[in-house]
Formats: sequence, C-alpha cells, structure tokens
Amino acid sequence: MIDPAWVSVLSAILFIIGVWGAFTRKNAIIVLMCLELILNAANLQFVAAAIQHGDATGWVYAIFAIAIAASEVAIGLAIFLAMYGQHETISLDDVNLLKH
Amino acid sequence: MNIDYLSLMVILPILASIFLLILTSRLNPAARAKFDAPVRMASLIISLAMFVLATLMFLGQIGDVGWNDIAFNNFEFQESYVWIEQLGITWTVGVDGLSFPMVWLTTLLMPITIIATWNEKAGATYFPLMLMLGGALIGVFVALDMFMFYVFWELTLIPMFFMILKWGGKDRKYAAQKFFIYTFTASVIMLLGLLTMYFLMDTQTFSMQEMVVQASGANGNGVWLGLEVQKVLFIMLMLGFLVKLPAAPFHTWLPDAHVQAPTGGSMMLAGVMLKMGAYGMFRLPISLFPHALEEFRFIIMIIGLISLVWGAIVCLGQTNLKKMVAYSSVSHMGVILLGIASMQPLGWAAALFMMFAHGIISPMLFAVCGAFKHHYHSMEIGAMRGMAKHSPWLATSMMFGWMASLGLPLLAGFVAELMLMVAYWYAYGWWILLPGLVLAITAAYYLWSMQRTIFEGGEATQPPESLHGEPVPDIDNSEKIAMLLLAAFTILFGIMPWIFLDMMDMWTRSAMAFLGVGGA
Amino acid sequence: MGGTSETISSTFIEYAIFIVLLPMLAFPIILFLGHIFNGNQTWVKSAKEGGLIALPIMVASFVLSMLLISEFIGKGTGAHHIGDWLSFGWMSADGMTINEKVFGVGIYIDHVTVMLLFVASFLCMLINIFSIGYMNTDPVNDNRNHRFYAEFVLFCSGMLGMVLADSFLWLFIFWELMGLCSYLLIGFYYEKPSAAYAAKKAFLTTRVGDVFLVIGLVMLWNLFDSLDYAVVFNEDLIAQVDPGQLQLALGMMFIGAVGKSAQFPLHVWLPDAMEGPTPVSALIHAATMVNAGLYLVARMFPFFGAPSMAGELVDLAFIIAAIGGITAVMAAAIAFVQDDLKKVLAYSTMSQLAYIFTGLGAALWLANTPGMEKYAIVAFGAALFHLFNHAMAKGMLFMASGSVIHEMHHAHHDLHHHDDHGDDHHDDHHDDHFDAQSMENMGGLASKMPITATAMLVGSASIMGLPLIGGFWSKEGIIANAWRVAREEPLFLFPAFCVLLGAAMTGFYMSRMWLKTFAGKPKTEVAANVHENTPWIPIPLVTLTFVSLSSVILAGMMFTHWSSDSSYAFFSEKGLIDGLIYEFEHIFLNSDAFFFVLTYFVIFIGAIVGPGLAMALYGGSLKDGEKSKPWMQPIINLSSRVNAKRGFDNSAWANSGLSDALKERLYFDKWYDAAMLKLVAGFANISAAFDKNVVDGTIKTIESTSQKLSTQVRRLTTGSARDYIMMAALGVLVIYLMLEVMI
Repeated sequence: MIDPAWVSVLSAILFIIGVWGAFTRKNAIIVLMCLELILNAANLQFVAAAIQHGDATGWVYAIFAIAIAASEVAIGLAIFLAMYGQHETISLDDVNLLKH
Repeated sequence: MNIDYLSLMVILPILASIFLLILTSRLNPAARAKFDAPVRMASLIISLAMFVLATLMFLGQIGDVGWNDIAFNNFEFQESYVWIEQLGITWTVGVDGLSFPMVWLTTLLMPITIIATWNEKAGATYFPLMLMLGGALIGVFVALDMFMFYVFWELTLIPMFFMILKWGGKDRKYAAQKFFIYTFTASVIMLLGLLTMYFLMDTQTFSMQEMVVQASGANGNGVWLGLEVQKVLFIMLMLGFLVKLPAAPFHTWLPDAHVQAPTGGSMMLAGVMLKMGAYGMFRLPISLFPHALEEFRFIIMIIGLISLVWGAIVCLGQTNLKKMVAYSSVSHMGVILLGIASMQPLGWAAALFMMFAHGIISPMLFAVCGAFKHHYHSMEIGAMRGMAKHSPWLATSMMFGWMASLGLPLLAGFVAELMLMVAYWYAYGWWILLPGLVLAITAAYYLWSMQRTIFEGGEATQPPESLHGEPVPDIDNSEKIAMLLLAAFTILFGIMPWIFLDMMDMWTRSAMAFLGVGGA
Repeated sequence: MGGTSETISSTFIEYAIFIVLLPMLAFPIILFLGHIFNGNQTWVKSAKEGGLIALPIMVASFVLSMLLISEFIGKGTGAHHIGDWLSFGWMSADGMTINEKVFGVGIYIDHVTVMLLFVASFLCMLINIFSIGYMNTDPVNDNRNHRFYAEFVLFCSGMLGMVLADSFLWLFIFWELMGLCSYLLIGFYYEKPSAAYAAKKAFLTTRVGDVFLVIGLVMLWNLFDSLDYAVVFNEDLIAQVDPGQLQLALGMMFIGAVGKSAQFPLHVWLPDAMEGPTPVSALIHAATMVNAGLYLVARMFPFFGAPSMAGELVDLAFIIAAIGGITAVMAAAIAFVQDDLKKVLAYSTMSQLAYIFTGLGAALWLANTPGMEKYAIVAFGAALFHLFNHAMAKGMLFMASGSVIHEMHHAHHDLHHHDDHGDDHHDDHHDDHFDAQSMENMGGLASKMPITATAMLVGSASIMGLPLIGGFWSKEGIIANAWRVAREEPLFLFPAFCVLLGAAMTGFYMSRMWLKTFAGKPKTEVAANVHENTPWIPIPLVTLTFVSLSSVILAGMMFTHWSSDSSYAFFSEKGLIDGLIYEFEHIFLNSDAFFFVLTYFVIFIGAIVGPGLAMALYGGSLKDGEKSKPWMQPIINLSSRVNAKRGFDNSAWANSGLSDALKERLYFDKWYDAAMLKLVAGFANISAAFDKNVVDGTIKTIESTSQKLSTQVRRLTTGSARDYIMMAALGVLVIYLMLEVMI
C-alpha cells in the first residue's frame, strides 16, 4: 500500500497548482478548472484519510464535495455563458462589475 | 364596557396611517391625486377624534380621574398585556401628571398642524405620516414598559425622517440624515444604558413602575446599584435625552432639521418631539437615579445655562427667520434643564410647564415661518417689509407668537419663566443674572426681526423679488384658523395656567418627596 | 405708616375688578368690529372707528373708579382677594418638608392707589375724547383707527390693573402689558422706519429695566415667600428680613422703575417714543405709564417706614434721589435746544418725573431715619401731589401740542392743496418735508388758537411752578424736603442743588416753548393760516385747564399731606378754609428762616429768572392788528417789551460745543446704538459663525473623516474575482494562524 504521506503530497501539489492557476489565469474557464483542482485535492485527501482510518465518513464527504462541485460547475458555466453574451469576453480582467 | 383608551390612542392613528399609506401606494399617480382630499380629511377626522378623546378624558367624561391627585409613580388608565412573554416584555400604558399634559398637547397639535398645512398640496402620503408621528409620540408618553418606550422612541424618527426627506427644502437630504444620525446615535447610547441597567437590576424587569419601586427601595438606605454605576448610567441615559432636547453642544442638528423640514414637520418637531427628551429625563434618569442627579445638578445647570445663553446669542446673529426661531427653541429648552437643576418642586413644575407652553407657542412660531416662506418664497429677515400693510393677519400672528415666546405676561410662556426665576434664584443666587440677560436678548432678537418684517416698508417698498411681481398675499383661511387656535390656547394657559399646572405641581411635589431629593 | 392704618369695609371693592376687565374685554371687541366694518361709512361716522365704543367703556371705568375712590379717599387700606392664581410646592431648606405657596390675585387700595387710580381713569377718559377729535380727522390713518382704539383700551386696562393690583407680581404683569401697548402704539405708523425704530428702542430699553425688576421681585419673594402687599408690608415680617438683602431687592426693582419712567441712564427711549400719535404721547408717555415707575417706588414706602429697617435703607433712598437729580438737570438742559414741540415736552416729562423721584427719595430717606419720620408724610405727599399735578398738566400740554400740530397739518394740507390749482406765490416751506411739529415753523398762534394757547399757558405755568398754580404747591414741597434732608445728610446736597437748578431751567424751557409757539409773528405762511376748528379736542383741554387752576383748592384739602394717616386725611378736621390758611402760612410765611428764604428763592428763579431769560430771547408781539385773549395779551406784551429792552445775542452759546452736545442728546443714543450695533450684534455674528463652523464643524469633521476612511476601505473592492479569491485565501490563512496561536 502506498504511504498515505505520498497521497497527501500529491494532494498538496494539486492544491497548489489549483490556487496558483486561480490567482494568475485570466480565462474564466481555466479559473473554474483550477477551482475544481482544489476541490479534487481535498477529495483525494478525504479518501486517503478514510482508507487509512477505516472510517466511511471521508467517502461521504468526498461524494458530497463531488456533487457540490458538479453543480458549481454548472452554475459557473452558466454565468460565463451569460457573461459572454453580455460582454463578449470571459476574461476576468475585463469584468469588474462587482466594484460598482 | 372597558375600553383601553390609551392603547387606542396609540394604535388607532398608526393603523390608520398604515392603512392609508398602503391604500394610496397601490394606486397609479393619477388616481392617487384624486385621493388627496379624502385622505387629508380622514387624517383630520382621526386626529380630531383623538383630541376629543383626550379632552374628554381630562374633563372626566371618560373615566373619573382626579387629575390633580395623581401621586408620583401612580398611573391612571393603566392597562397591561403580555407582549413577549419569554423576556417579560409587556405592553403597559398609563398616564400621570407628567405625561398627560404631553399626551393632550400631542392630540391638540395634530389637528392644528393638519389644518395649518391644509393647502400645502403635499400629496396623499403626507398626512398619514403625520398621524403615524402623532401615534408614535403618544406611544412614547404613555409607555410604562422600557422596551415599549424604546420602540416608540425610535418609531417617531421614521415618519419625521421621511417628512424631512420628501417635503423638505433644498438641503433636505443632508438635514434628514443629520437628524437621523444625531438622534439615532444618542438613542443607541441610551439603549446601551437601558440594557446595562436591566442586567444589573436585582429583579430584572422592563416595567418602569416596578423599576422605580426597586430603585427607591434601594436608594432609601444606600445607593441603588452603587453611586459609580448610577453616575455612569445617568450619564448614558441623559446623553440620549440631551441630544433630543437638544442641549448645547448637541444642538446643531435642530436648526438644519427645522429649516429644511416642511411646516407641519417643524411644528410637530418643535412642539412635541423636543419635549420627548425632557419627558424622558423625568421618567427615567431622574426617577431612578436621584443620587446621581444630586451629584450632577450643577453640571446640568451649566449645560442648561450654556444652551440658554448660547442659543439666544446665536439667535441674534441669524438672518434666516426659521433658523432664528429654531435657535430660540434651543434657548428655551435650556430653561428646562435649569428647572431640573434647581431641585425645587417649583423648578421642576416650571420645567414641565415650559415643555407644555413651548409646545403651544413654538408651533405657532413655525407656522408663521412656514406661512412666510409659503407666501414670500424666502426665509430671509428683511426680504419682506411692511407685512402689517400687505399681510395683516400674518403680521398679527407673527407679533403674537413672538411676544408669547419672549415671555409676555398673561401668555403661557411667562408663567414658566416666572416660576423658574423664583426657584433658580433660591438655588443658585446671582447666577440669575444670566437668565436675566437672556430675557433681554430674547426681546432684542424678536424685536429686531419684527422691525424688519412687520414694520417699515409701506407704499414705497417693493414686494420682494422672490415674488416675481405677483400680488402680495395674506395667509389663507386654514392658516388663520390654526393661528387663532394656537393663540387662543396660548392666552388660555397664560391666564389659567392651573389647568395643567396643578397636576404637574402634584407630580413634582410627590416626586421630590418620594425620591427624597431637593432643598438647598 | 403702611401697617398702622386700619382696613375699612367697602361695597365697591368687589366690583373694582371690572375697572380693569371692561377695557380688557373691549380690546378684542373693537379689534373684531373694526376688522369687519373697516371702511364702512357708518363705522367711520357713527362709531368713530371704535372711538365711541371705547368712550363709554372708559367712562364706566372712571365712574367705577370714582365710586371706589369715594370710599377710600383719606381713609385706610382695603383688600379684596379674588383667588389664587398659581399654587406650587416649595421645598424647605433642609429638604424635609414641602410647603404650599401661592401667587394670589386681588385688589388692594390705599392712598397711593387712590391717587394713581384717579389720575389714570380720569386721563384715560379725557384722552379718549381727545383722540376722537385728533385721530379721526387725520387722513394719514386710513382705516386703521380701530387698531388705535383697541390698543388704547388695552393700555388703559393695563394701567388701571397695575394700580389696583394687590401684589408686586400683578403689578409687574400689568406693567408689561402696558409696555406691549406702548410698543404697539409707538409703532402705530408702522410704515415709518423711524417709528419702527422708536418702538423697538422703547420696548428694549424698558425691557432691560424689567429684567432687573423681575430679579428684584424674585429676590423679594425669596425673602417673604410672597409678593402680596398685605404680606410684605407686614412690619413683623419685615423685621425678620435681612436689611442688606432687602435693600438689594428693592434696588433691583428700582432699576425697573428707572427704565419705565425714563430716568438716567435708561432715558433714551422717551423722546423717540414721540413717533406715536399725539394722544399716545399724552396718555402713555406723559401722564400714566411713565408714572408706573414712580408708583413702584412709592409702593416701597412701607419697607422704609418699618421700624426694624430704620437707618438701613438710606443708601437706596439716596440713589433714588440722586438718579432723580441727575435726570432733572440733564433732561432740562436737553430741552433747551429742542425745536420739536413734542420733544421739548418729552424732555420736560423726564425732568419732572425726576423731580418726583427726588421727592420720593427724600421721603424714603426721612421715613428711614429715626427722628425724621414725621416729615416723611409731608415729603411723600408732596411727591404724590406733584405726580398728580404733573400728570394733569403734562397730559393737557401734550393734547394742546397735539391740537397745534393737528391744525398745522390741516393748514398745510389746505394750503398745499390750494397751491396745486392756483398760481399764488409759493412759499419755500410748502414742500412735502414740512415739519408740523417744529416750533421754527410756528409763532403767533395765540390769537388763532385761543383755547389751545390758554391750556398751554396754564399747563406751562403749572409745570414751572408759578405761584398758586398747579405744580407750585408740590414742587415747593419737593425742593423743601430735599433740602431738609440735605441739612441732615450732606450727600443729599447733590440732588437738592439739582432740583433747585432744575426749577430755574424749567422756567426757561417751558417759557421758551410757549413763546416760540404762541407769541411773536408767524414764522411761516402755514402758521398764519391755522384755525382751531376740530371738534372734541377742546373738551379735555378746558377740563384740564380748570383742574390745573383749581390746584390751590386741592392744596387746601391737604393734598400735600397725602397719606393714609387719618390725622392728615383729605378734608381733615381743619376744613377747606383752615387748610388753605395752613398751606399759605406754611409756604409763604414759614417760621424756619431757611425754608422761608428757600421758598422765595425758588419763586424768584423759577418764575422770574427763567421766564425772563426766555422772554429776552424769544419774546415778541403778535402780528399787527391781531389780539389774543385778555389773559394772554399782557404776557405777550411783556415778552415783547423784555425782548426789545433786554434782548441779547446768544449765538455764541448756541454755536458752542455744549449746545451741539445737547442737540445730540449728550450722545447717549449714539453710544447705546453703537454699543448695540458694534458690540452686541458683532458678538452675535461671531457667535453664529462659531456655532456653524466650530460646534457644528466638529461634528461635521467627525463625519467627513469617517467618510474618508470608508473611501479608503472601499478601494479594496477592486471588482476583480481574482482579488476576492486571494482575499478569501488570505482570510483562511489568518484564521488558521489565529487558531494556531490561541490553541
């Protein structure tokens, strides 16, 4: 069996890639994908911990998180579509309506 | 049948106003314009009904009350209902010698204000707001539950805020905000004080009556809650009331609010809303913390003196008629603080009567200012001269109001001033020269403004440019009726002050005996 | 003295309240009717715009007053308590008990009341008659006379109420009511800026005095726990009072009297008050309201007379006399140079009131000094008698001056009207700025206005104190008593010299006024065309002329010993003839050499030196071919002879700095105005700015600072989603770190 530590390292790497991507990329869809990466990093950790401790709670959390992530993607893509329809761009630098 | 008249007087106008507001808001503008007159009439009828009710209560036709025998902490027409059971909050109403004159005054001023602004073309929402204001004010005066008191205290702000905001002058936004922020900040401090007091009490209660009993029991042999705590709470509560009064240096919201407010708003604001501050002082800090009052009496006196003198001097430097009158209110409210600080039943009664007298006189002053603005489109002293010729009714009303305000004998204001001077000399001796000086200054600014408005002019003077060549009008009939009514009551209470003074006197006497304060 | 007289029963005292109430109720009625019928011909002709409604009311008040007076004259005091006005709790000094105190209301009558009541009700009635003649033929008054009559009756109510009141409180209340009416009536011609200014000045100046009066009353209340005469005049109660405190309280009240009676230094309002219609000047500013201050001081007499106060209040007595002395000379000096007929009379009023103050001061001193009490009654009586004589004479003089001015106006109006159509030669004076009040435009009216001239002559003689006429009796008494005190107390030499000097000055300026108006040739064409033809006016003039002339009989009735003490009662056992003999002996053949000389000296300077100088300067015969009545012709002839023989050039004096200063009224008005304008108004403006910028500014600064802060905070919201994510991440980090640190 793989040492849980390595799973945690993989999860950390995924998390960092996700955060880095969310902070730096302009394209909204890529930001959304990076957010998914962050969530998946967390899922990985949940599952790994569940296996190690022999407790099903981690599986349950992971399934919840996947479900939420799916709906989030759906909403996010819908927003981006609407945004594209309105502004003809999905670059986050060009959209700062929240300020107003 | 046992009807709870006081609750009726609180709830009826508020419900009526909500009903009228909802009714008119559902209509489109064209249909709403048709509703203007009926809504106005409905408001007048409701307010008149309340006046009749209050008068019948006073005359003993409703309930058989010996008004002049109500001792301190005893209430008539007392009714109590559970409101929020878990917290011990009740809906308790009742009146005594302190609050009944104020209730009556509110019911008197509501119809008069509506009559005075009858032709203002204010639209269908103005008069319901006036009703709501009146109901909330009565709620403040009859509430015997601390929570209820606070709720109505804040409720008065809402209609007044919208009145200033919607029907005010050029800077109405600023004035409305300032009015709201000042009074709201102050009442938040007051609320903190009230809550602190609630949590420190031995037996926690929201009932003011029980609080007074509890406090006096502890004050009898020691100091309730300890002197330091009493002092802090006293300051917190007084702060809320001082801003409302208003006393210097928290008075600057008043001129702005008055100048921008519509005539009816000014009349109610000066007539009753300012008195809420003084009423609150008597009802809570003074009734609960007599020891702190003794400690702070000199400071209260100084604050009162500053308001009195400062307000009068600033009046002298005003060129805006309404601002001058507003500052004169500040000056007159200082008298109330002096009365409290004199620690004599007479001085307290003077303060109470000042509240009442100023409540009749100042609406007249603001009605005059409003009519002046209405007819001459200007508020500047000197914009219109020779009013005696062009607008004799307005000139007469103005002179009457001004004279009443400067304390002419046989008019209501004089009684309060005389009583105050007697008590004040006894308590503070030669400090009396300052109030004396103010008597002269008050005469100076009023006469100065009359010289430049009522007098002079004549044939040679042109009407003010702001009229754009229209003929100079006099006040219309509804304004005449309002002025005549106010003048009649000013004379009535100047010649027969005992109508309400006796019950006030009974209250102050029994209060002082009950609280064990006073004397040299 | 006050406490010793007995209380007598009376039937009319219960109706006395109507003396006050009738005119007070007439006020709204006249105002209301006038408002409705304004301009209606019946109203103007039959009701005289309210004049004929006011008249019966004033007659009724007068009749009621006379009935009341008839019961009390020369007898004791009477009081009728109507009820409590205010009752209130009063905490004792130890804070243990609360007592009930009251301000009562009622009627109080004694010898002082009787004197003032007669003067007030009589003159109110006569001047009402005069007004109907004067006001209703004045074209300037277009439809506002009902206002005049309404305010007139309200004033009468105030005056009568003040006199009848049974406490200092109600005295003050009616006192203020009079002040209001005075204000309204001075400002009757509201469109004139000078009238508006004068009204304001009068109210404010008296208000300054009133403030002190209130403070004095409050102090007095705190000493006695009451302001009722019946209580405060009680000698047992006075004995328990600290004399120093009492003197302060009375002194404060005296300042109020100074303001109301136009004495130095609060005298500036009276001459300006002549802006009001002449009947108002006659009634309010000469005969009644200005006497209120004297009445107040006279009311203080029992305090001075109380045995326990003996010698304690002499300082105040001296101050009262000294203020009187200063004003007597100052006002007389200013009257020297006035050309306005009414202004001369105004300053004369001031000067004569000052005489009475000096007389009262002397009386109070005598009452307060052990061993001198027996003279106090004489001095007090002389002062009150002078009040009576002066009110009658001055009321008459003002009405006569009103008659002159009125006819001058009419003559000017007629001439002017005539000029518009004809091609007659134009006189330089016929412009719109013709001053009908200036004596420079009059002259030689004695032949054209015989009744007026006679009234003016008798009135002037009474004021000057020509032997046997009017004020002679009382003025002698005042001067003699001032000197009686001065012989005991050197400080009193000052007021005593002042009144002596004043006697000579009075002789001069009153003669000057009469001669400039009635003697000599007409100075303008208007004056040459004056006729006496207005109805109603002669009635009061003739009446008052006889009253002034009959003063000798009043003296015989022991008016100079006016007091409640029955041994000096009106129509005392002596009877009229014996009384007359007593008075004549007393004045002309005084056994005390000092007073013997003094009497003749006063007669010499007042009746010979003063008028003689005036004749030398201003005398002159009438226009050729005109003759006045036989009782005036010798005087005019004499004046013209003196003028021809002894006339001298006074231009050096007239151009001197002193004369300029007097014309400028000794700069008091200027200084007061400057003080008001520069100091008070300046300070007020600074205060207003301070309130706006500093007091309100502080709050505004707090507000704007917090607003700026929030703007800074708002910059964090960039609107970029990335930044929000970043912040969320940072927030998580911070929370994590905090948990780490805390746990």
